[in-house]
Amino acid sequence: MLVERRSKETLNALLFFALALLFVFQFALGPDRERLAAVLPGLLWLGFILSGVLGLGRVFLVERENDCWEALLLAPGDKSAIYLGKLAGSFVLMLVVEAIVLALFVLFFNVDLGPALPGLTLVILLGTLGFAAVGTLFAAMTAQVRARELLFPVLLLPVLVPVLLGTVKATEALLLREPLADVAHWLKLLVAADVVYLAVGLLTFDFILEG
Amino acid sequence: MSDHWAYVVAAYALAVVVLGAYWRRLVRKERELKALHTARADHNTARTDHTMRSRQPSIPAHPRSDPGKRSPLQ
Amino acid sequence: MTRVLGWLAALALAIGLVMAFAIAPREVTQGNVQRIMYLHVPTAWVAYLAFGVVLVASIAYLARRAAVADRVAHASAEVGVVFTGITIAAGSIWGKPTWGTWWTWDARLTSVAILFVMYLGYLLLRGMIDDHERAARYCAVLGIVAALDVPLVHFSVYWWRTLHQPPSVLKPGAATMPPAILTALLVNLVAFTLLYVYLVAKRVGLLQQETEALAS
Repeated sequence: MLVERRSKETLNALLFFALALLFVFQFALGPDRERLAAVLPGLLWLGFILSGVLGLGRVFLVERENDCWEALLLAPGDKSAIYLGKLAGSFVLMLVVEAIVLALFVLFFNVDLGPALPGLTLVILLGTLGFAAVGTLFAAMTAQVRARELLFPVLLLPVLVPVLLGTVKATEALLLREPLADVAHWLKLLVAADVVYLAVGLLTFDFILEG
Repeated sequence: MSDHWAYVVAAYALAVVVLGAYWRRLVRKERELKALHTARADHNTARTDHTMRSRQPSIPAHPRSDPGKRSPLQ
Repeated sequence: MTRVLGWLAALALAIGLVMAFAIAPREVTQGNVQRIMYLHVPTAWVAYLAFGVVLVASIAYLARRAAVADRVAHASAEVGVVFTGITIAAGSIWGKPTWGTWWTWDARLTSVAILFVMYLGYLLLRGMIDDHERAARYCAVLGIVAALDVPLVHFSVYWWRTLHQPPSVLKPGAATMPPAILTALLVNLVAFTLLYVYLVAKRVGLLQQETEALAS
């Protein structure tokens, strides 16, 4: 019950944050349509990532605030289940936020998605998965650390550069109506990254939750 | 095309300064720790001399477990 | 033992310096500014070596919980960051006269810069966790993630810079190197590697002394 309420709070806050970002982007870039169109893929993913960092930073908030951390540590069975559970939750949350941000982008910046939508969906799914995989691991790591709000993005963002580059370049190509085959190498990179992040997350999460 | 020796010197000088500073920091820390260690050793010997004369038996120093064998879950 | 290493490294570096400045010839296209390569390439190599060691030591620590593995990881990350910083700075200084700019989002420089930030984060994490054992564990995990990320970063940045874009500038250090230049480069590579080993050995010893001092 508490977790659900927290999730709704987080979702609401993230949506307002995304809206605020939209305004900031518009003001920062001015009314120049062409310039906006050129940087749109980057802005989109910037929006996703900033919201994601905020949202993921709170993944273990419930446990931390209610002193349930020990409960997590003592929970019987494979700790990987906790990792996957948290990951799934963050993944879904991020997807919801991204869907709404995308809709807002289409609305405010007059983007014509059209035939790019299926490819774009794939890119967003792959990128968000990688993001959630590393994010959940690092969130657990920084949950009990001093200055966690600062340390979390500082650790997360450099590691996620491949995902950032892959998704932005793929999105850019797709919005320019290039066929999906042209961005195959980026998609392969995203898949590889996701595999690596998930594997490491599953294998090392136990060590984070040891105590 | 001019050789830009200034840049070459700058790059190497930077490397020397940074590596040198790091090395000096290591050496300085080593010296501090050694001084601390000898000071403690002297203090311990002085204390043992003193307590040997007292009636109460001296409490031996807490045995330090070997870091290699220390298990985190103990 | 560490002392011997230190003198060996110093000797090798001296030889390397002589080779870089006295024996290696003046490069045809760039002129003498190319001699920065004898510094920049070895430090870059050592940086990657250092972080490879962090990976191995981190895995070893999680597998065996040997304190020495943790110390090696910590020391290697620290020395690695130092060498990475020098790599970036030397690369930037080399870039100014040859490319006309202090910084460019060239694939190699960008990759190394990301590497730098990742391992700075590693050291930050160390500093922010008070419990020594937990710091060792968490940093081991981070060390593994960061190291495995390096090839991904490499490819993504390289593709970002080269595909659908005309190659920007001639990469410093031509593909086919005359033997004199290659030899000088190799000598310096060995010299800097020895320096790395010496510094890591010294740092590991210090870390051990620090732990012992805290325990008493």
